[in-house]
Amino acid sequence: MKLFTRLLLIPLCLLGWGAAQAQATAYTGVVTGEGGEPLIGVNILNKMDASGTITDFDGRFELQADAGDTIVISYTGYEPLTYVLGATTQLEFELAESAELLEEVVVVGYGSQKSKDLTSSIATIRSEDIEKTPSGQPMQALQGKVAGMQIVSAGAPGDAPNVRIRGVGSYPGSENEAPLFVVDGMFFDNIDFLNNNDIKSISVLKDASAAAIYGVRAANGVVLIETKSGNFDAPAQITYDGYYGIQRAQNVVKMANAEQFTTMALESESEADISFIENAMQRYGRSRINPNVPAVNTDWYDVIIRDAPIMNHSINVSGGGNKAAYAVGASYFMQEGILDMKNQFERFNFRTKIDFKATDWFTIGGNAIISNGNRFLPDNSAWFRAYYAVPIMPVFDEKNTGAEPLMLSNAQDLGYRGGQNPLVSTEFNRDEQKIRKLLGNFYVQFNILPENKLTFKSSYNSSYTNINARNLDFPYFIGNNFQQENSVIHRINDDFFNQIWDNILTYEDSYGKHNLTAMAGTSYRDEAFNQLEVRALNFPTDQEAAWYIDQAETLDTDRGNVGDNASRFYGISYFGRVAYNYDNRYLIYGTYRADGSSKYQEKWGYFPTVGVGWVLSQENFFNVSGIDYLKFRASWGELGNDRIQASDGATTTSVVTTSLGDIQYSGTETSNTFSALRWEVVEETNVGMTAEFFRSRLSLEADYYSRDTRNAAINVLIPAVGGTVLRNVGVIRNSGFEMALNWNNRTSFGLSYSVGGNFATLNNEVIDLFGQSYIDGGTAEFRQRSIVGEPLLAFYGWEVAGVYQNQAEIDADPIAVANNLEPGDLRYVDQNGDGVSDADDRVVLGSYLPTLTWGANLGISFKGFDLSANFYGQSGNKILNRRRGEVIFTNDTNMDAELATERWHGEGTSNTFPSSKGRRKGWNQRLSDQWVDDGAFWRIQNVQLAYNIQGDKVFGAGAPDLRVSLTADRPLSVFDYTGFTAEIPDGVDRQTYPIPAVYTVGLNVRF
Amino acid sequence: MKILNKYRFSIGLIALLLLVLPSCEEVLNEPALNRTFNVEIDYTISENMVRPLIGVYADFYSRGWETIPLIAVRGDDVNAGGLGDQQPFADTDQFIYDQAYWMYNSLWQLNFNDIYTGKTAIQQIELYREAGAPDALADQYIAEVNTLNAFLLFHLTRVWGDMLIPRTADPTDLLVAELSTKDEVMQYISELMDESIPNLPTIHPADRTDVPGGVNRYTALAVKAMAEQELRNYQAVANATSEIINSGVYQLEPDFYELFKLKGKLNRENLLELQYSDYGQGSGDANFHLYAFYGPQGWDPAVEGIGGGWGFFEPSLKFIRFMLDRGESVRLETSVLFTDRGIAEFQDEYPNLPDFVSNTTRDGDVINDYARALFASGKHYLPSNQITPGRTGYGNNKNYTCIRYAEILLMHAEAVLRGASSSAISADDAINLVRARAGMPEITGATLQDVVDEKFAELATEWGVRYYDLIRWEMYDELNYDGRTFTPDKIYLPYPQNQVDQLPVLDKG
Repeated sequence: MKLFTRLLLIPLCLLGWGAAQAQATAYTGVVTGEGGEPLIGVNILNKMDASGTITDFDGRFELQADAGDTIVISYTGYEPLTYVLGATTQLEFELAESAELLEEVVVVGYGSQKSKDLTSSIATIRSEDIEKTPSGQPMQALQGKVAGMQIVSAGAPGDAPNVRIRGVGSYPGSENEAPLFVVDGMFFDNIDFLNNNDIKSISVLKDASAAAIYGVRAANGVVLIETKSGNFDAPAQITYDGYYGIQRAQNVVKMANAEQFTTMALESESEADISFIENAMQRYGRSRINPNVPAVNTDWYDVIIRDAPIMNHSINVSGGGNKAAYAVGASYFMQEGILDMKNQFERFNFRTKIDFKATDWFTIGGNAIISNGNRFLPDNSAWFRAYYAVPIMPVFDEKNTGAEPLMLSNAQDLGYRGGQNPLVSTEFNRDEQKIRKLLGNFYVQFNILPENKLTFKSSYNSSYTNINARNLDFPYFIGNNFQQENSVIHRINDDFFNQIWDNILTYEDSYGKHNLTAMAGTSYRDEAFNQLEVRALNFPTDQEAAWYIDQAETLDTDRGNVGDNASRFYGISYFGRVAYNYDNRYLIYGTYRADGSSKYQEKWGYFPTVGVGWVLSQENFFNVSGIDYLKFRASWGELGNDRIQASDGATTTSVVTTSLGDIQYSGTETSNTFSALRWEVVEETNVGMTAEFFRSRLSLEADYYSRDTRNAAINVLIPAVGGTVLRNVGVIRNSGFEMALNWNNRTSFGLSYSVGGNFATLNNEVIDLFGQSYIDGGTAEFRQRSIVGEPLLAFYGWEVAGVYQNQAEIDADPIAVANNLEPGDLRYVDQNGDGVSDADDRVVLGSYLPTLTWGANLGISFKGFDLSANFYGQSGNKILNRRRGEVIFTNDTNMDAELATERWHGEGTSNTFPSSKGRRKGWNQRLSDQWVDDGAFWRIQNVQLAYNIQGDKVFGAGAPDLRVSLTADRPLSVFDYTGFTAEIPDGVDRQTYPIPAVYTVGLNVRF
Repeated sequence: MKILNKYRFSIGLIALLLLVLPSCEEVLNEPALNRTFNVEIDYTISENMVRPLIGVYADFYSRGWETIPLIAVRGDDVNAGGLGDQQPFADTDQFIYDQAYWMYNSLWQLNFNDIYTGKTAIQQIELYREAGAPDALADQYIAEVNTLNAFLLFHLTRVWGDMLIPRTADPTDLLVAELSTKDEVMQYISELMDESIPNLPTIHPADRTDVPGGVNRYTALAVKAMAEQELRNYQAVANATSEIINSGVYQLEPDFYELFKLKGKLNRENLLELQYSDYGQGSGDANFHLYAFYGPQGWDPAVEGIGGGWGFFEPSLKFIRFMLDRGESVRLETSVLFTDRGIAEFQDEYPNLPDFVSNTTRDGDVINDYARALFASGKHYLPSNQITPGRTGYGNNKNYTCIRYAEILLMHAEAVLRGASSSAISADDAINLVRARAGMPEITGATLQDVVDEKFAELATEWGVRYYDLIRWEMYDELNYDGRTFTPDKIYLPYPQNQVDQLPVLDKG
């Protein structure tokens, strides 16, 4: 009978409306807390058939069951209650608040631990918080939520945000600064392939002690992702989640308009520039408002930016019986970019996870995620071109009759060196990537001793990624020097196949007050990469079906255009962990990992950690009212980083071609330097405390850490010839203080609310450079320097003291006289006071790493409504506005409005920016703090208002529960910096894709 | 029974794993993929010894577009043009230097980079030699590399004065190197050439079949002569140039105009040139120099769709007037592309301007007025009708001449006039050979001033020959033209800031 109803129930649920079961009794009840306040969302589970329900806003529930069935009533933070149904159909339950606080189980590497047993710093984010953020990138949802984890947003569809845990330990720029992402046991560089709805929880292992079990890959922190799984003995739950919204560009940079641009050109005293204005007036006429300005006023950002849609739909089914648990899901995500071109990201995900208790002594399971993405990349040069394109030129120019296929305007027709029109970036190329990822995990677990005291788990994890790229350039003619003769097709096929085989033996037991968990394991790792690329010219551009190499006229076999590349790395590891506590009062924790890697000449690295904790609140003498739980903890650990590029270990030779007597010859070139690298080793000490107050209403987590990267691999410039070579030549220290404080409460009249905040400080410092006082980075024109005692890659240049206002000031300053300066030129601070302004007057102008990041959240729910808001901010970082700085390469182009309006143009007009004439002088183009701006900002990160409808009540029994939500994601960002966004991953802003605000309407349906 | 089974199975499995994993450890010794490690090159294949040499030529030819103009811009033969853009380039032309300017650093790095590429190639050649490649051939290849390196170092020291001499193949050794004076560097170059000369072939570069257009003995002699000339060691100049002249390998190209066009590729006149090619194909592989920098903006080419230039290299009015005053025709026509706006600047002074002073070239390309400059460079211009159909870049497929026979003849003439004895020809003969080709009347009893003038007329806009001659002759007044003020402290550019930061030995301040 039971079987029959269960079978019947599933299709009915799928159909939507479940009919009431005829045979069962209808029980109703109400669940309250100790104070009598109704508890909302309490789980009621019938243990007999795994059916169940949850309580509504008044704490009420209805359940169809047979007398004699056992139900379990459970709610986070409360003691669960078991009850055998009898004749009484009107039930009342009062739940006791859980005495055992922090029972929460946290995922740690190769196992899990109770939160109260932790001696290290781990933060966990649950699915509810991840799903609120409308983004194709799950990590984006964590911005501002974890103290000490900096997320730098990415605006382009499909781009993963930049994630930094506790500063930067490795030299940036080689993609080795990102943390390790572990998805259900498999290693990834990012999780851009997952849908927010695929994720059950994300644990951030912040300190070395927590991360050390991942040894060689853990130097920059570890992020563990658990995808959704079913529960044994749980009713089937079918959930639909979806939203639709639009994205709108924020903080659009205001450019100089035609009038301001004309004024700047006229004041430049450059005959050439003045003549270009004349040419524009001849070609396009004069403005009726101001006849000395051309009758064109193009706002190029307005031309290339659009509003763009975003949407997500997902369906999840999960549940389980006493033998099996399952979770199956599908999702579709689509986002168009706000850059007005073929620029979008689409992704279908399918996943399934099954755990099966084959016998009482072994369990098998498998997990597969298939992600099928399709991405059209933006041509980010459009952002840069739009900044530089002169406003006195229209988008289309009817006089440019020879132009095809679009009659675009050409700045060369006005006399400028470049054609400038940004639409060549957006109209004549298309970069497409088909991204397929397949993640598969399979495991078998043996319970060797009774009660799962000793288990052995062998798991095989694999991920296959294929990125099939098709980059197309279409021919165009806008002018003789502004054309693309050939259509170009460039196909790149990247294959990544990574495998990990883990074998873990875990022993867990208690003897009286002694609690012990011990684990030992091995891991074998294999990472293979293959790439094939071909480039060809002149394919039939008008028919998409012909966009293949086979259809092209000629193969372009020039060096670098046809390639076959591969890499393969192996890793072998042995590791173990011991976690012991006495009476939940004294905690000791230790792990050790030996890692072997094929990447380096030095093959083996050894990474230990220890941690201790003292739960003061468990002591008999401790009796402070209001403090429920108080733990002090300290840990130390060492980690390795093998993500820095493989070292060649020897000079290498590459093939080059040249023409000799009009015949092509090929020869070889041999490198004159080579990298011979060792592991980077990170050593970190963390001290912290965890506390709960006032019946767990207030929670506090505070940490201080200091982390040194030894043997830091730094790109050392090769003297005289340029270029860099990686060498282990430094020690970098990150240190900081982190705190998270949360208050939540339920009032007796049904209102519950929460307020929380977190902040983290960061001090990034170069401790040693093996005897050198500094190492230069950045570029020759935009110098960044790593100096001992200063942050890594600090911007390095002159400090502006103001603008010379008049001739008297010039005459009074020997520096001005010596450099033939005029009023309107910049005055630099003579740092060493020697009366000469030279390279010795350069100073550190700031770092791109924020010294303070903070986040805050607010949540209120009442009856069916809930409202949440998140805030995020950072300060202490600087941004190099390279858009402005590149005036050194071309100085007759447009500029942002601030440079024009705040220019010096007479005594007292400005003390910040030089005159238009001065702007062109090398003196005023030095890298100085005129281009290095404050990167501080704060933002309303996410606001969501939702209304929940209990289906049973409104639509009748069996109807699904609904949740309708309105979300504004990043609707407001406040900063001084003149750019679209103050979030610049490396602090150098040239053509960063803007971060749009997202406004969505969402629907959640739960059967 | 069941319990027993599970233990046996589990323990067996664990034991197996413990055995399997360590045996996998040898994978840690797998080498990185897709690299040709030098230890794996088979040096016994002697015919491959030419490959590192070709790599050196490839690198030498891929000169950055900004490097040669920066070397040349300060002379009175040429102006920066490019007004309104690249201000520090124009400032350099006015002897106002900015050590942070990117072009300075670029010239430095590119030349040094190529020198070090050469140094590592020599190491490779030595490895082939050790493995049995013919000694004489290895010597020849090394001599070729050294000649190219000497040419690069020669320009570095002329631009910056005191210079670091790369003596090893590892650039980091420069960190502990001492600066050498310009004279010491020139001496080093001369000696390096003495070492190389006996090992080099004597046939014309164009006749070489192994490396067409490669360096020969006379290229090395020319570089030696140039270094000795900087040392004012004129007898050595005369000796080297005499040997080149006596060889009979070189002849002046009769058509001066076409010498700078496609006909100039591997011409009998050239001792050293940068080679480029589109291999006669309208698309596909090609190596080009970026000549657009020298060209006129917004031109109307005779062949539609051929790109124009950027207008950054403007023959000076001073040069044009000098040429008109001398009654020059072919060399003026070859050196200058005129715009109407430019012609208007001197039209009134010359009532009977020759026909070629026009904004239309003999090939029908129309040079329209453009704001940046009055004139564009003719020697760096390839008529649009000589561009391979399908290609559209300005000057595509044109070679870049580095040293040509006319310069050798005039160096010879100067050396002789300064008292050196010649074993070849007289100063008059040398000068008249050059003049005759340019359609200029013969002179007798040539003076040093005649050489000065002849070099100006013949070699204007080429490689800064004029500027460095004026410096050597201390004729600084000539540089005070069009409002410029030159003082001897402006002879050398300041070291690039980027290099000073890395090589403290350069910090003289």
